[in-house]
Amino acid sequence: MQQKEIINNGLWHNNVVFSQLLGMCPLLGVTTSAENGFWMGAATLLVLLGSNFVVSLVRDWIPKNVRIPAYIIIIASFVTIIDLSMNAWLHDMHMILGLFIPLIVVNCSILGRAEAFASKNSVMDSLIDALATGAGFMLALIALGSVRELLGKGELFGFDLFGANYPDVLMFILPPGAFIALAFILAGVNILNQYSKKRADSAAQPNPSPQGQPS
Amino acid sequence: MEIDSKEVRKMIFALVAVATVATLALGFTEQLTRAPIQEARKAAMLTLLGQVLPIHDNDAMQDSFDYTLSDKPTRFYPAFNQKGELQALAWQIVAPDGYAGKIHMIVAVDVFAKLVAMRVIEHRETPGLGDGIVDDQVWLNAFAGKDLVSTHWNVKKDGGDFDQFTGATITPRAVVHAVQRALVVFQKNQKALQKKALSEQAKIASTQ
Repeated sequence: MQQKEIINNGLWHNNVVFSQLLGMCPLLGVTTSAENGFWMGAATLLVLLGSNFVVSLVRDWIPKNVRIPAYIIIIASFVTIIDLSMNAWLHDMHMILGLFIPLIVVNCSILGRAEAFASKNSVMDSLIDALATGAGFMLALIALGSVRELLGKGELFGFDLFGANYPDVLMFILPPGAFIALAFILAGVNILNQYSKKRADSAAQPNPSPQGQPS
Repeated sequence: MEIDSKEVRKMIFALVAVATVATLALGFTEQLTRAPIQEARKAAMLTLLGQVLPIHDNDAMQDSFDYTLSDKPTRFYPAFNQKGELQALAWQIVAPDGYAGKIHMIVAVDVFAKLVAMRVIEHRETPGLGDGIVDDQVWLNAFAGKDLVSTHWNVKKDGGDFDQFTGATITPRAVVHAVQRALVVFQKNQKALQKKALSEQAKIASTQ
């Protein structure tokens, strides 16, 4: 597979959130602010990098029958390493994200990348895939966190944007706001995808295929 | 499906190898992060103690001691002034009846059984409604200097001295009552606590 295609897939076409709707638990749970979204995304990205790297490294030595338990051990180890490291060096953020860091283990997009990609591709491609997929997930977390923080508190990354008179729309900080904001973001992504598809189609129309078959 | 023993051995070997490497990596990480995690916890606790205790001249973490308060072992953090006189004690309390579960707090009470300050450490109250207990400075400052005799330990809705929040009465009610309970048990144990604080400090001072 072309490396450009891998990046495109991870970031957009096959985005964990926008197209696969995976990883909903941390996505809805921690995105009360853009900063929380960023650190949750960063932690997931690091776990994904580690697990994709190791899985692709050992892909020829792990017998097919026991590959899933082996991948789980690898993923769980990286999650624990990230959990301990954040507790040590990012203590305040670790307190905020709390249980959601250990729960990265069960983020199915990570096992999904190990099983669907890293177990079949070279180390280099797997690292690129991890970076792209992780960045795509991070993008979604920051997008949702930004919308909720902006509407709920009038701030972005902690900076007050709308001034003291902004009436905080509390609902966007509460769980229902997460669902509503996500729905609008997904709708926006779909409109964008439809628009770009239409443009690609209309660009293709002036040159119909030589056989002239109706499509 | 038939699996020959060679295959089985290969599987076992692979899993054992993966688990061994994972265990080693985790052990190494744990060793590496143990001290920083303790430091970070200590720093967080020191910040908190700095917020609730009056200006003091000792290391409240180092001079802390355990005392059994109504059947619960509790860690107390004492504040001494320059002359080595006990100023206040801080300890953690829990309000079990918050709107969304337990509210963990730290209170500091001075030797006259007056509350110095109260801060919330951990809670799951509704953001924007109940979480004023964390950062509403006006509300938090209302606790300073309150004691059992001259204060009505209730929210205003219940005829007490403390404001409730718009849309959130249960949260401040739970906090106010928990602080009151803390003052009550402090008064009951005050003599013993002060004695223990002084003797513990003398013990630490003599070992240095």
